Amino acid sequence: MREKKPALIITFSTTTDAMGMEQFCAQNALPGRLIPVPREISAGCGLAWKAPVEAKESLMAAMADAGMHWQEARVLELWV
Amino acid sequence: MLKQVNAMGDPCPIPVIKTKNAIKELSGSGTVEVLVDNETAVQNLTRLANNNGYAVKSEKLGDKEFRVVMEVTGAPAAQAGEDDSETCLVPAGTGRNNTVVVISSPCMGTGSDELGATLMKSFIFALTQQDTLPRTILFYNGGAKLTTEGSASLEDLKSLEAQGVEILTCGTCLNFFGLTDKLKVGGVTNMYDIVEKMSSAGRVVRP
Repeated sequence: MREKKPALIITFSTTTDAMGMEQFCAQNALPGRLIPVPREISAGCGLAWKAPVEAKESLMAAMADAGMHWQEARVLELWV
Repeated sequence: MLKQVNAMGDPCPIPVIKTKNAIKELSGSGTVEVLVDNETAVQNLTRLANNNGYAVKSEKLGDKEFRVVMEVTGAPAAQAGEDDSETCLVPAGTGRNNTVVVISSPCMGTGSDELGATLMKSFIFALTQQDTLPRTILFYNGGAKLTTEGSASLEDLKSLEAQGVEILTCGTCLNFFGLTDKLKVGGVTNMYDIVEKMSSAGRVVRP
Protein backbone atom coordinates (compact mmCIF):
# COMPACT_ATOMS: atom_id res chain seq x y z
CA MET A 1 0.00 0.00 0.00
CA ARG A 2 1.38 3.40 -0.99
CA GLU A 3 1.49 6.03 1.70
CA LYS A 4 2.69 9.58 2.16
CA LYS A 5 5.22 10.44 4.86
CA PRO A 6 6.69 13.74 6.04
CA ALA A 7 10.02 14.76 4.52
CA LEU A 8 12.29 17.76 5.00
CA ILE A 9 12.48 19.82 1.82
CA ILE A 10 15.18 22.46 1.36
CA THR A 11 14.89 24.81 -1.60
CA PHE A 12 17.55 26.91 -3.31
CA SER A 13 17.49 30.05 -5.38
CA THR A 14 19.65 28.60 -8.16
CA THR A 15 20.04 25.21 -9.84
CA THR A 16 23.79 25.42 -9.23
CA ASP A 17 23.25 25.81 -5.47
CA ALA A 18 20.96 22.77 -5.47
CA MET A 19 23.45 20.65 -7.41
CA GLY A 20 26.19 21.94 -5.09
CA MET A 21 24.16 20.62 -2.15
CA GLU A 22 24.24 17.14 -3.67
CA GLN A 23 28.02 17.28 -3.90
CA PHE A 24 28.35 18.77 -0.40
CA CYS A 25 26.20 16.07 1.19
CA ALA A 26 28.01 13.26 -0.66
CA GLN A 27 31.40 14.57 0.50
CA ASN A 28 30.23 14.94 4.10
CA ALA A 29 28.12 11.78 4.37
CA LEU A 30 25.00 13.84 5.02
CA PRO A 31 21.58 12.30 4.33
CA GLY A 32 19.17 13.16 1.56
CA ARG A 33 18.78 13.42 -2.19
CA LEU A 34 18.01 15.88 -4.95
CA ILE A 35 14.40 15.94 -6.17
CA PRO A 36 12.31 18.26 -8.34
CA VAL A 37 10.69 20.94 -6.18
CA PRO A 38 7.28 19.61 -5.07
CA ARG A 39 4.26 21.40 -6.51
CA GLU A 40 3.27 22.65 -3.06
CA ILE A 41 6.31 24.93 -3.13
CA SER A 42 6.41 27.53 -5.85
CA ALA A 43 9.49 29.54 -4.93
CA GLY A 44 13.07 29.01 -5.98
CA CYS A 45 14.72 26.93 -8.66
CA GLY A 46 13.38 23.59 -9.87
CA LEU A 47 15.49 21.35 -7.64
CA ALA A 48 15.25 20.75 -3.91
CA TRP A 49 17.00 18.63 -1.29
CA LYS A 50 14.86 15.97 0.37
CA ALA A 51 16.02 14.52 3.68
CA PRO A 52 14.61 12.82 6.77
CA VAL A 53 12.80 15.28 9.04
CA GLU A 54 14.95 14.23 12.01
CA ALA A 55 18.10 15.33 10.12
CA LYS A 56 16.95 18.95 9.95
CA GLU A 57 19.10 20.38 12.73
CA SER A 58 22.32 18.62 11.74
CA LEU A 59 21.84 19.43 8.06
CA MET A 60 21.08 23.09 8.64
CA ALA A 61 24.05 23.41 10.98
CA ALA A 62 26.41 21.79 8.47
CA MET A 63 25.11 24.02 5.68
CA ALA A 64 25.50 27.12 7.80
CA ASP A 65 29.05 26.13 8.80
CA ALA A 66 29.96 25.63 5.15
CA GLY A 67 28.46 28.96 4.11
CA MET A 68 25.90 27.28 1.85
CA HIS A 69 23.01 29.33 0.52
CA TRP A 70 19.47 28.01 0.68
CA GLN A 71 16.05 29.54 0.41
CA GLU A 72 13.61 27.66 2.58
CA ALA A 73 13.37 24.51 4.68
CA ARG A 74 9.98 22.97 5.34
CA VAL A 75 8.26 19.66 5.90
CA LEU A 76 5.96 18.16 3.26
CA GLU A 77 4.18 14.85 2.87
CA LEU A 78 5.46 12.85 -0.10
CA TRP A 79 4.73 9.39 -1.50
CA VAL A 80 7.19 6.78 -0.28
CA MET B 1 -30.72 22.35 1.59
CA LEU B 2 -27.93 19.88 2.40
CA LYS B 3 -27.37 16.60 0.57
CA GLN B 4 -24.90 14.12 1.99
CA VAL B 5 -23.21 11.45 -0.15
CA ASN B 6 -21.21 8.55 1.23
CA ALA B 7 -18.85 7.35 -1.50
CA MET B 8 -16.32 5.68 0.78
CA GLY B 9 -14.88 2.62 -0.95
CA ASP B 10 -16.50 3.43 -4.28
CA PRO B 11 -14.26 3.17 -7.36
CA CYS B 12 -14.21 5.92 -9.99
CA PRO B 13 -16.56 7.08 -11.46
CA ILE B 14 -19.10 6.07 -8.77
CA PRO B 15 -18.35 9.03 -6.41
CA VAL B 16 -18.89 11.45 -9.32
CA ILE B 17 -22.11 9.70 -10.42
CA LYS B 18 -23.50 9.69 -6.86
CA THR B 19 -22.62 13.37 -6.53
CA LYS B 20 -24.29 14.25 -9.83
CA ASN B 21 -27.44 12.46 -8.67
CA ALA B 22 -27.37 14.38 -5.38
CA ILE B 23 -27.02 17.65 -7.29
CA LYS B 24 -30.03 16.71 -9.44
CA GLU B 25 -32.06 15.88 -6.32
CA LEU B 26 -31.36 19.35 -4.96
CA SER B 27 -33.45 20.76 -7.82
CA GLY B 28 -31.78 24.11 -7.37
CA SER B 29 -29.33 25.69 -5.00
CA GLY B 30 -27.88 23.92 -1.96
CA THR B 31 -24.91 22.16 -0.49
CA VAL B 32 -23.61 18.72 -1.37
CA GLU B 33 -21.22 17.08 1.06
CA VAL B 34 -19.36 14.00 -0.20
CA LEU B 35 -17.22 11.56 1.77
CA VAL B 36 -14.55 9.68 -0.22
CA ASP B 37 -11.52 7.57 0.67
CA ASN B 38 -8.87 8.71 -1.81
CA GLU B 39 -7.30 11.90 -3.12
CA THR B 40 -8.03 11.06 -6.74
CA ALA B 41 -11.75 11.08 -6.00
CA VAL B 42 -11.26 14.49 -4.37
CA GLN B 43 -9.59 15.72 -7.57
CA ASN B 44 -12.37 14.31 -9.76
CA LEU B 45 -15.08 15.92 -7.61
CA THR B 46 -13.20 19.22 -7.53
CA ARG B 47 -13.01 19.15 -11.32
CA LEU B 48 -16.75 18.38 -11.52
CA ALA B 49 -17.46 21.42 -9.33
CA ASN B 50 -15.09 23.68 -11.24
CA ASN B 51 -16.56 22.63 -14.59
CA ASN B 52 -19.99 23.65 -13.32
CA GLY B 53 -18.90 26.86 -11.63
CA TYR B 54 -19.68 25.65 -8.10
CA ALA B 55 -17.60 26.76 -5.12
CA VAL B 56 -15.80 23.74 -3.70
CA LYS B 57 -13.60 22.97 -0.74
CA SER B 58 -12.11 19.75 0.54
CA GLU B 59 -10.46 18.57 3.71
CA LYS B 60 -8.63 15.49 4.85
CA LEU B 61 -10.44 13.95 7.82
CA GLY B 62 -8.22 10.94 8.30
CA ASP B 63 -5.71 8.66 6.63
CA LYS B 64 -8.28 7.50 4.07
CA GLU B 65 -11.16 9.86 4.61
CA PHE B 66 -11.81 13.10 2.79
CA ARG B 67 -14.77 15.47 2.75
CA VAL B 68 -15.64 17.51 -0.35
CA VAL B 69 -18.25 20.25 0.00
CA MET B 70 -19.82 21.89 -3.05
CA GLU B 71 -22.06 24.93 -3.06
CA VAL B 72 -24.49 24.24 -5.89
CA THR B 73 -25.90 27.35 -7.48
CA GLY B 74 -28.79 25.91 -9.41
CA ALA B 75 -27.40 25.00 -12.80
CA PRO B 76 -27.81 21.28 -13.62
CA ALA B 77 -24.51 19.48 -13.40
CA ALA B 78 -25.14 16.45 -15.59
CA GLN B 79 -26.21 17.00 -19.16
CA ALA B 80 -28.05 14.28 -21.03
CA GLY B 81 -25.70 12.01 -22.88
CA GLU B 82 -22.65 13.09 -20.90
CA ASP B 83 -20.14 10.30 -20.61
CA ASP B 84 -19.39 9.56 -16.98
CA SER B 85 -16.13 7.90 -17.93
CA GLU B 86 -14.87 11.37 -18.84
CA THR B 87 -15.01 12.25 -15.18
CA CYS B 88 -12.24 9.72 -14.52
CA LEU B 89 -9.45 11.59 -16.22
CA VAL B 90 -7.42 10.80 -13.14
CA PRO B 91 -8.04 7.09 -12.49
CA ALA B 92 -8.97 6.09 -8.98
CA GLY B 93 -6.76 5.09 -6.12
CA THR B 94 -3.20 3.98 -6.55
CA GLY B 95 -3.88 2.09 -9.74
CA ARG B 96 -1.83 2.11 -12.90
CA ASN B 97 -2.92 3.47 -16.23
CA ASN B 98 -1.99 2.32 -19.72
CA THR B 99 0.98 4.64 -20.05
CA VAL B 100 4.38 3.33 -21.08
CA VAL B 101 7.41 5.45 -20.22
CA VAL B 102 10.40 5.02 -22.53
CA ILE B 103 13.86 5.99 -21.29
CA SER B 104 16.54 5.81 -23.98
CA SER B 105 19.29 7.85 -22.37
CA PRO B 106 20.77 8.42 -18.91
CA CYS B 107 20.32 12.14 -19.59
CA MET B 108 17.15 14.18 -20.05
CA GLY B 109 17.55 16.63 -22.89
CA THR B 110 20.71 17.96 -24.48
CA GLY B 111 23.06 20.79 -23.61
CA SER B 112 24.78 19.52 -20.47
CA ASP B 113 25.21 15.87 -19.53
CA GLU B 114 25.67 16.82 -15.88
CA LEU B 115 22.38 18.71 -15.83
CA GLY B 116 20.75 16.06 -18.03
CA ALA B 117 21.63 13.30 -15.53
CA THR B 118 20.21 15.39 -12.69
CA LEU B 119 17.03 16.05 -14.67
CA MET B 120 16.59 12.34 -15.44
CA LYS B 121 16.98 11.47 -11.75
CA SER B 122 14.36 14.12 -11.01
CA PHE B 123 12.04 12.76 -13.70
CA ILE B 124 12.17 9.23 -12.28
CA PHE B 125 11.59 10.55 -8.75
CA ALA B 126 8.63 12.59 -10.02
CA LEU B 127 7.18 9.39 -11.52
CA THR B 128 7.09 7.91 -8.00
CA GLN B 129 5.06 10.90 -6.84
CA GLN B 130 2.24 10.53 -9.37
CA ASP B 131 -1.14 9.45 -8.02
CA THR B 132 -1.49 7.16 -11.00
CA LEU B 133 1.59 5.19 -11.98
CA PRO B 134 2.56 4.07 -15.50
CA ARG B 135 1.99 0.48 -16.58
CA THR B 136 5.53 -0.09 -17.82
CA ILE B 137 8.89 1.67 -18.00
CA LEU B 138 11.16 0.57 -20.85
CA PHE B 139 14.90 1.23 -20.78
CA TYR B 140 17.07 0.94 -23.87
CA ASN B 141 20.32 2.20 -25.35
CA GLY B 142 22.02 4.47 -22.76
CA GLY B 143 18.86 4.36 -20.64
CA ALA B 144 19.79 0.76 -19.75
CA LYS B 145 22.48 2.16 -17.43
CA LEU B 146 19.75 3.47 -15.11
CA THR B 147 18.56 0.00 -14.07
CA THR B 148 22.04 -1.33 -13.33
CA GLU B 149 24.52 -1.27 -10.47
CA GLY B 150 25.59 2.22 -9.46
CA SER B 151 22.50 3.99 -10.83
CA ALA B 152 21.27 6.80 -8.61
CA SER B 153 17.68 5.92 -9.57
CA LEU B 154 17.62 2.33 -8.30
CA GLU B 155 15.75 3.19 -5.10
CA ASP B 156 13.00 4.99 -7.04
CA LEU B 157 12.75 2.22 -9.65
CA LYS B 158 12.52 -0.48 -6.97
CA SER B 159 9.78 1.52 -5.30
CA LEU B 160 7.87 1.74 -8.60
CA GLU B 161 8.35 -1.98 -9.21
CA ALA B 162 7.02 -2.72 -5.71
CA GLN B 163 3.88 -0.76 -6.64
CA GLY B 164 3.33 -3.01 -9.66
CA VAL B 165 5.03 -0.98 -12.38
CA GLU B 166 6.72 -3.25 -14.92
CA ILE B 167 10.40 -2.34 -15.32
CA LEU B 168 12.04 -3.77 -18.45
CA THR B 169 15.52 -3.25 -19.85
CA CYS B 170 16.69 -4.11 -23.36
CA GLY B 171 18.91 -7.22 -23.22
CA THR B 172 20.84 -6.29 -26.36
CA CYS B 173 21.70 -2.96 -24.75
CA LEU B 174 22.82 -4.54 -21.46
CA ASN B 175 25.06 -6.88 -23.45
CA PHE B 176 26.50 -4.04 -25.54
CA PHE B 177 27.48 -2.04 -22.44
CA GLY B 178 28.79 -5.14 -20.59
CA LEU B 179 26.07 -4.72 -17.97
CA THR B 180 24.23 -8.04 -18.35
CA ASP B 181 25.30 -9.19 -14.87
CA LYS B 182 24.75 -5.77 -13.31
CA LEU B 183 20.97 -5.45 -13.69
CA LYS B 184 19.54 -4.46 -10.30
CA VAL B 185 15.85 -3.84 -10.93
CA GLY B 186 13.18 -5.29 -13.19
CA GLY B 187 13.53 -7.79 -15.99
CA VAL B 188 15.23 -8.14 -19.37
CA THR B 189 13.30 -7.71 -22.58
CA ASN B 190 13.79 -7.89 -26.34
CA MET B 191 12.80 -5.80 -29.35
CA TYR B 192 9.58 -7.77 -30.01
CA ASP B 193 8.36 -7.04 -26.48
CA ILE B 194 9.42 -3.41 -26.78
CA VAL B 195 7.43 -3.02 -30.01
CA GLU B 196 4.38 -4.74 -28.49
CA LYS B 197 4.49 -2.73 -25.26
CA MET B 198 4.79 0.57 -27.12
CA SER B 199 2.20 -0.19 -29.79
CA SER B 200 -0.38 -1.41 -27.26
CA ALA B 201 0.13 1.55 -24.90
CA GLY B 202 -2.56 4.16 -24.43
CA ARG B 203 0.18 6.77 -24.25
CA VAL B 204 3.96 6.66 -24.64
CA VAL B 205 5.96 9.17 -22.61
CA ARG B 206 9.57 9.94 -23.54
CA PRO B 207 11.46 12.31 -21.24
